[in-house]
Amino acid sequence: MRRPDLIQLAFESLRLHRLRTGLTLGAIAIGVTAVLLLTALGDAAKGYVVKEFAGVGTNLVIVVPGKVETSGGMPAFGGSTRDLTLEDCDAVLRQSSVVRQVAPFSLGAGAIEYGEKSRDVRVIGTTAPFLDVRKLTISSGQFLPPGDPRQGDRVVVLGQKVARELFQGENPLGRLVRIAQWRFRVIGVLGPKGTSIGIDYDDLILIPVSVGLKMFNQTGLFRIMVEAASPEAVPMALEQVKAVLIARHDDDEDFTLITQDAMLKTFSAVIDALTAGLAGIAAISLAVAGIGIMNVMLVSVSERTGEVGLLKALGARRRQILDVFLVEAMMLSTAGAAVGVAVGVIVILIAAGIWTFIPLKPSPGWIALVITLAVVAGVSFGLMPARRAARLDAAEALRGRH
Amino acid sequence: MSTQNGIVIRLDHVSRVYQVGESEVRALDDVSLDIAAGEFAAIMGPSGSGKSTMLNVLGCLDTPTSGSYVLDGEPVEKLSEDRLAEVRQKKIGFIFQAYHLVGRMTAMRNVELPMIFAGVEPRVRRDKVRAALEAVGLARRMTHRPDQLSGGERQRVAIARAMVMEPRILLADEPTGNLDTRSGEEIVALLERLNAAGLTLVLVTHDPRVAEHSRRVLRMRDGRIVTE
Repeated sequence: MRRPDLIQLAFESLRLHRLRTGLTLGAIAIGVTAVLLLTALGDAAKGYVVKEFAGVGTNLVIVVPGKVETSGGMPAFGGSTRDLTLEDCDAVLRQSSVVRQVAPFSLGAGAIEYGEKSRDVRVIGTTAPFLDVRKLTISSGQFLPPGDPRQGDRVVVLGQKVARELFQGENPLGRLVRIAQWRFRVIGVLGPKGTSIGIDYDDLILIPVSVGLKMFNQTGLFRIMVEAASPEAVPMALEQVKAVLIARHDDDEDFTLITQDAMLKTFSAVIDALTAGLAGIAAISLAVAGIGIMNVMLVSVSERTGEVGLLKALGARRRQILDVFLVEAMMLSTAGAAVGVAVGVIVILIAAGIWTFIPLKPSPGWIALVITLAVVAGVSFGLMPARRAARLDAAEALRGRH
Repeated sequence: MSTQNGIVIRLDHVSRVYQVGESEVRALDDVSLDIAAGEFAAIMGPSGSGKSTMLNVLGCLDTPTSGSYVLDGEPVEKLSEDRLAEVRQKKIGFIFQAYHLVGRMTAMRNVELPMIFAGVEPRVRRDKVRAALEAVGLARRMTHRPDQLSGGERQRVAIARAMVMEPRILLADEPTGNLDTRSGEEIVALLERLNAAGLTLVLVTHDPRVAEHSRRVLRMRDGRIVTE
């Protein structure tokens, strides 16, 4: 039997029951669209996170005070946790061969005032390498000057938004501001960066770390940012930093090292699991649609019992009868999948146009998978009714009995 | 009787037994029968006498429980279902009381069906369909669907479909049963013409006037041929 003939026979039969065909096709299309939309959302969430982490810097190792136990939870409190100090920073930079730069990081919050205006901001205390390590840019003036981290003038670099809202078009360079009642001179403004791992770099200010520690009366650093010589050197840098700090902390590992890679892997794994879960839920609707196909095909077989008997009398073999019904089921599911993909892609593109900050896009991989799934569902749910048709007794079927 | 070579149907002590619940129904009971090429035989008898089973066995739609059936020189009682399908395709044409046309298909398409399942080239099919419909006088009804045709026209489409594969035997199950007298006579005349051209014709009927046209009448009762 020729393939075009099979397709034509199936088409003739599907065309006869337009409503029934349309409804079944719609059920499949809805399932397919659901899978596409949910997986696109999952992919977009992952893309968003990956983009965020890419902005952190791939060579980065972050030192956090306190040991985070493998069971998770808060860093341990108590006497055993030593502060991370500027001396630790020096030691790491001097004693680790694959460490390129180290930037201390202290964190406080206070009001910054200029003239009548005042604004609550985060105050980061750090040193010159921070600009490079955190991949920030300067839009005007300069960043914190290099030099001994234990010394530092009262100078400040403003985030974009802080500068804009406080000075409102006025040139902030060289102006004096008050931060938590301390007077600072503005020496630079950051370029736009936006939010990166929870910190909005447009809405903060940076001052020398020694001034920051003194101002907020802190003895230890919030973080130490360590930049390895290359992404490949990160594992070795981890070992070296660990060894240096353990030696300095009386053989006690009272700190935690975080790499961007590890964070990214954790987040990716969580989002992948979520996406798979969503896809699974959506796939249930495909299975339901598959049962719809089976139902329609069963009705079709019992309506066409006489026709099956006739075809057998005319010399159709079992396999040919099976094929006729199976191709019908496959055409239903394939057409449904095509409609579903078209609708899904259009919806995704429209949504991507509206919410430009989410990297929504149709994924060829998911589309291929969902079409395969739909066709497989068509075949597997169409098989039972088709078998039933193929096995009908010709003589009985001709008499309209089954 | 005819010579061995001229015989297309030979039933030798054929029985067909159905199991209905606890009891056995002998729809065909030790039937032996020869039908020669080009014969026109009518099978008559009350309902339940085994006429339909006889036609089903002759048409390879049903297989004997015992006995042998040689069709056109080939023993068919042991063939697989697919081989039987092939025999039906090549050697046997069927027509039915209820026509059994596919309602969604035009006359042409209905006649084309057996050739589709035989894998015949579309171009060859088109010519044969045309010729078959012209032969039954439906040249101007080719693109009509069954519901646009009269009963007589429908049966003629069915005859064209049965003849399009050029079978050796035509089996007709009450072909005039649903038709008025005039249409019925036209159909019988058409069948006689085909028979005159060499086709072996076996026809089941209730109608004595139809049976009169045949040269041989087989009367059945309780699964046996009682008179010839």
